[in-house]
Amino acid sequence: MSRYAMVTDLRKCVGCEACTVACNAEWSVPAGFARTHVRKTEIAGTFPNLTSGIHVAQCNQCDRPPCAEACPSGATSQGADGIVRVDKDLCIGCAFCVAACPYDARYINPATKKVDKCDFCLPRIARSEQPVCVTTCTAHAKYFGDLEDRGSEVFRLVYAEGARRIETASVAVGPNVYYLGKPESLALVATSFPPRAPRLPAAGEAWRMAVRPLVMLAVGATFLGQAVAFFTQLAKGENDFED
Amino acid sequence: MRTEAIPVHAVPLTAAQAETMAQLRIKKHHVAIMLLHWFNASVWLLELLTGLALISSHYFRVVPLWYVSIAEGAFGGRANMLHFHVALGLTWIVVFLVYGTFGFRTYLGEVLHKEIALDRDDFRWLIVRTLRILGRSNEPLPPQGSYNAGQKLFAFMIYAMIPVVMVSGVVMAFQLFGPAVVGWAIVAHFAAVGAVVSGLMVHVYMGAVFPEEKSAFFSMITGTVDELYAYSHHFKWWREVKLAQAEWEQRHDRGRLVPTEPAAAAPIAGNSDPEGGQEQTPGP
Repeated sequence: MSRYAMVTDLRKCVGCEACTVACNAEWSVPAGFARTHVRKTEIAGTFPNLTSGIHVAQCNQCDRPPCAEACPSGATSQGADGIVRVDKDLCIGCAFCVAACPYDARYINPATKKVDKCDFCLPRIARSEQPVCVTTCTAHAKYFGDLEDRGSEVFRLVYAEGARRIETASVAVGPNVYYLGKPESLALVATSFPPRAPRLPAAGEAWRMAVRPLVMLAVGATFLGQAVAFFTQLAKGENDFED
Repeated sequence: MRTEAIPVHAVPLTAAQAETMAQLRIKKHHVAIMLLHWFNASVWLLELLTGLALISSHYFRVVPLWYVSIAEGAFGGRANMLHFHVALGLTWIVVFLVYGTFGFRTYLGEVLHKEIALDRDDFRWLIVRTLRILGRSNEPLPPQGSYNAGQKLFAFMIYAMIPVVMVSGVVMAFQLFGPAVVGWAIVAHFAAVGAVVSGLMVHVYMGAVFPEEKSAFFSMITGTVDELYAYSHHFKWWREVKLAQAEWEQRHDRGRLVPTEPAAAAPIAGNSDPEGGQEQTPGP
């Protein structure tokens, strides 16, 4: 078993968005959408002690993925390798997962009407290639590997260099995308682009909180009523019912 | 039987009358209705079995995970199960549309117009029926038309919910109108099916398990019911059938030539229809 992780060294990242471009090209991402986002923070601090940071966001392949939990049809699931994947055959495009993702890493592809997101380039991994954002990174700021493999570069960066995840006290779902950088810069990135609380859209909330309990109540009550009727029938004997 | 001889109210039958009426059969359902019924029943069974397993999130799931695994195994994977669910659902919609288009005047129009409207007797029936099932009453059931009040209520539910199931299903199958609509379509699909299922359970119980209504179950196979059942469970309909029969007979008696054969000097009162001879006039 493996647990794939991505480490981005924000000290090297120049914010060129080559990763986004390569990803868009590799996976034919429609215009206006992207699976990675490169965002710059505001400049913080007082002159001359200024800090800024760049955030390279993508799907975090979380250990406890809220998107998989929200998916009604089972299209989104987590593999044994930890990568959260979407089965396009099962996706019905309800976008419950889009609302559930704390990192806003998902979008509905207007061409297929189904959900898309970064999956660490699963087909490339199957061919023993690195994800395309890693190979294309102009500053060699991205590292990809297996955290279960103690000899891997990502293992060293996470457990020896202290690469950190971007989570908050309330939203900690075990993201597998790590960041290296100057502590104040990392802190600025983490507070500027924090994960948001997972949520369900109104339809999903209504289904979960009202419709499902009501349906179960209706069917359960009917079943109970019939059980009473049936045992009455058994106790009375069928002949009493004959005309 | 002459029109005037047909009782207006269901009067108690003598044992002999009941015996005879139990042997006579009245046509209740068209073959088209019976075929549609069993087609519908098979589709609902399969769609329910697959549909339940298609909801996987523990937020929404109503069946245990082991059932989901069994269903996935039976269909060789979740995707296959979904394809099956969608394909069968679309087939069902097409059959209903074709049937509704070509068979409306013959089969559905009359049912919609006069056979499912609820009247005062029906409301009373619902109460008495329930009490009798629970063994709390021996009051005779109020007279019913060709469909009893329970069947009528179920029909209302079906007519209201089936379009919802169909439309929401198509929306999900083809991801129509954007994610927000698809999201609500799932909820509508689930709610409508849930409502139908709670009614369906009563429908199946009354048809297949409850002894008093057994004739109704077999009428969906043979298309006929015995007259005794019609008389005691669907009196208003029985009376309608008998009236129509009597009118037909009277009309044809009027057109009949005065018998010339010597044998016919014997009784010609009543009628010589072989069925007519067996008819009983219930009542005092």
